[in-house]
Amino acid sequence: MIDITTSNAGAGERTTRLGDDDDGASHYSVSYAGTQESADIPGIGQYEDFHTIDWQRDIARDRMRHRYIVKKKQDSFWSLIEGAHDAWSGWLCVLLVGLFTGAVAGVIDIGASWMTDLKFGICPQAFWLNQEQCCWSSNETSFDAGNCSQWLTWAEVLGQAKTGVGSYIISYLFYIVWALLFAALSASLVRMFAPYACGSGIPEIKTILSGFIIRGYLGKWTLIIKSVGLILSVSSGLSLGKEGPMVHIACAIGNILSYLFPKYGRNEAKKREILSASAAAGVSVAFGAPIGGVLFSLEEVSYYFPLKTLWRSFFCALIAASILRSINPFGNEHSVLFYVPYNKPWIFFELIPFIGLGIIGGVIATIFIKANLCWCRYRKHSKLGQYPVTEVLVITVVTAIIAYPNPYTRMNTSQLIYLLFSECGISNSDDLCDYDRNFTNVNSAIEIAAAGAGVHRAIWLLILALILKLIMTTFTFGMKVPCGLFIPSLCLGAIVGRIVGIGMEQLAYTYPTFWLFSGECSTGANCITPGLYAMVGAAAVLGGVTRMTVSLVVIMFELTGAVRYIVPLMAAAMASKWVGDALGRQGIYDAHIALNGYPFLDSKDEFQHTSLAADVMQPKRNETLSVITQDSMTVDDIEALLKETEHNGYPVVVSRESQYLVGFVLRRDLNLAIANAKRMVEGICGQSLVLFTTGNVPQTLGPPPLKLKKILDMAPITITDQTPMETVVDMFRKLGLRQTLVTHNGRLLGVITKKDVLRHIKQMDNEDPNSVLFN
Amino acid sequence: MKYIIGIITLLCICSTSKAQSYEDKRCKCICPSISSVTNSSETGHASRIMYITNVPPDMCNCDGVILPRIGKEIFGKEQEFCPRCECKYENRNTTIIKVVVIIVIWVISILVIYMAFLIILDPLLNKRIKGSYQEHTNEEDEISAAGPMSHHMSVRGNVLNRVGHQQDKWKRQVKEQRRNIYDRHTMLN
Repeated sequence: MIDITTSNAGAGERTTRLGDDDDGASHYSVSYAGTQESADIPGIGQYEDFHTIDWQRDIARDRMRHRYIVKKKQDSFWSLIEGAHDAWSGWLCVLLVGLFTGAVAGVIDIGASWMTDLKFGICPQAFWLNQEQCCWSSNETSFDAGNCSQWLTWAEVLGQAKTGVGSYIISYLFYIVWALLFAALSASLVRMFAPYACGSGIPEIKTILSGFIIRGYLGKWTLIIKSVGLILSVSSGLSLGKEGPMVHIACAIGNILSYLFPKYGRNEAKKREILSASAAAGVSVAFGAPIGGVLFSLEEVSYYFPLKTLWRSFFCALIAASILRSINPFGNEHSVLFYVPYNKPWIFFELIPFIGLGIIGGVIATIFIKANLCWCRYRKHSKLGQYPVTEVLVITVVTAIIAYPNPYTRMNTSQLIYLLFSECGISNSDDLCDYDRNFTNVNSAIEIAAAGAGVHRAIWLLILALILKLIMTTFTFGMKVPCGLFIPSLCLGAIVGRIVGIGMEQLAYTYPTFWLFSGECSTGANCITPGLYAMVGAAAVLGGVTRMTVSLVVIMFELTGAVRYIVPLMAAAMASKWVGDALGRQGIYDAHIALNGYPFLDSKDEFQHTSLAADVMQPKRNETLSVITQDSMTVDDIEALLKETEHNGYPVVVSRESQYLVGFVLRRDLNLAIANAKRMVEGICGQSLVLFTTGNVPQTLGPPPLKLKKILDMAPITITDQTPMETVVDMFRKLGLRQTLVTHNGRLLGVITKKDVLRHIKQMDNEDPNSVLFN
Repeated sequence: MKYIIGIITLLCICSTSKAQSYEDKRCKCICPSISSVTNSSETGHASRIMYITNVPPDMCNCDGVILPRIGKEIFGKEQEFCPRCECKYENRNTTIIKVVVIIVIWVISILVIYMAFLIILDPLLNKRIKGSYQEHTNEEDEISAAGPMSHHMSVRGNVLNRVGHQQDKWKRQVKEQRRNIYDRHTMLN
């Protein structure tokens, strides 16, 4: 870790200088003793695009800044207020993030539900209402789906009858045209304004939170285009969801708002605390599950998650969820469409089908991951990648043409999930609830009954829908529009679960005296709830695809509001994770990280090889290590070194002969400092000596020396060349290092960077080490 | 931001002045058809009756909604009929829906217009401004890197130019992003 107590003998003065406070654009930096220049070098402590951040350095910088503010507190009342503002700025920032995330999520929910129904028709009296809202207060007493005079389908608008071949064809055409229009808009907006807005965003967010810089990935344009594009692509009827991108949107909001608070905006490591909280808020609004959001952030996305961040995430998720709840986008008092309150008991032996669902879920998830990765790899390496917009249009047309005839794929996926989750009550007139029930016996609740013809029809349609969704989602996820896969995978699982559930129910109906059912089902009560199976199946597939466990169960439990289903959900999630892990190593997000070669050191993987630091370090044998000496190189020498080599940092040694380590200096800082000195300090020229020491300057006749001690990291992490790589990898993971220096007998031998570690891991796993994206 | 708030307040005023033809609260009750208890000929379970009224939440049940309407027809059978009914009280906010949908339409149209501008008009305008002196360079990096910088230095301080400079910078960033994603396929595959 960087040692900050800079009580250096040479200077004696402990100048912990910071940027001018009256200047809003000041840059905080770790200043060491011996600061002589009056102005700070701008840009120190920032990073370039596609670089890894140095957690230790950034956290040390924040500690310095904090200490400075605490010390200044006694000076004046104003400083006291500044100190107080600094102390609560983290909470204020997450509060704002929560407010904005909730509001944006509300806009997306309302906009998407309106636009989805625009494919079917319009509400002429109030065009801004969707079908359900349009028929909100209709006075018709007969209950039939779609019987509502206020809502006009496009066929009716064109003067056709409500039913019939002509109107069906017109509706079909309108459906395709609208879908095509929405998808084209979404794809071209993304291409035109913010290419980073495409995809789900979670793999990238994971990489960013692990300490990678992708400039513009969380910017304003990405936020706007992702929100608008998400509304459009969800409404186009493609097999995608808005829940994953919601995490990206929330993180973009967090990033933009963090610039209001220099403490977070100017410190990449601190900014990631806000981003972790934002990710929690994103899931919180996506599923109306604040606790699930916090756990998702902890389990799936975040890399560095101290307790302070946990509480902030909790607060942020709470605010976001309550804002969305107050907007009430679906008119059901909840922030998701498919909120289904459940309070039915389950029988112990049902755990067997639940675990079976978990296994099926794991298998489906593995098929999906493998197929999707194949397709994405094909897209990456073939000509297909050159036609991103065309690809979207083709997939949209195909989806629309196949989806319309089947009512279960025609409807919005969220609605389908709601339908599959919900129980068959009097208000549910779908085919799925077409049981031969006897309504005359009113003393009992709805009892178990034989499935009618409608249920059989529904099952066939659902199986078709399952196949279609599985295939279409494989092709859809990874297209160049904003698209998530929570909803499609929930839907796949819900279909499987519902079918299994109906099967179990009919089994119990046909054999009520079979010993497994005899306890609860013999009385004719409705002992098996197919909706619950749908829920468990949904959890299983989602768990298999993303390999979430804890957060998934909590999200599902918050969706249903019933604690009693935790055990079934846990069993299914665990079974699905085991099956998934056995069949394929990675979850979809990790697989996409690997596909793109993002520099992500997964803290869940174990390093199992026996190599040593000496095997991995740069330079390899018979290459020389580029070093900078502390007091004998001129500006020209250093500039030549910078030109010749491309390293991102250079170790500073006492002299070339001894190679005793002094510190480490970053290329970017060196460039900035030299450029700054040439501009600001008089007399600096090519022959000026560059000094990294603080001792007495040898009086020479030449030009004045350039003192760069303050950009020198005096406490780089060092290891010896015999350190096992397992330890090194652990250090990189847990300390968030960017590089470490390798010494032998106290002398500098080489450098290991994060890139070297990642390449080494890839090499050991027999993968192409050159696929790592890095600068 | 100010504009957005302005638009929102404007829309709020507009919407409140207009008569509300759509109510924000409802009580929706769905019951099986009356024949299910009156022992008349069974018409199948699919026929149901639905009532939507505007009553206080605590009145939203069978007693408050169904019985005043069809109490006579099912007289004596309320105890059997009512447990079959599902009543749900719901509320919504049409003003928010209206404002949000209008904002979404506005944002999409502005973006589409801007996109059309960038695709159609911008190349024409730029051709006139930049003239012929850059025609020989076909390396697009050089144009984007050198063009705006010299532009910026000459007329610093002018607001319009600063906006233009910002726009150029943004365009360069987007071009870079596009190259990363669509051409080199290094990201977001």
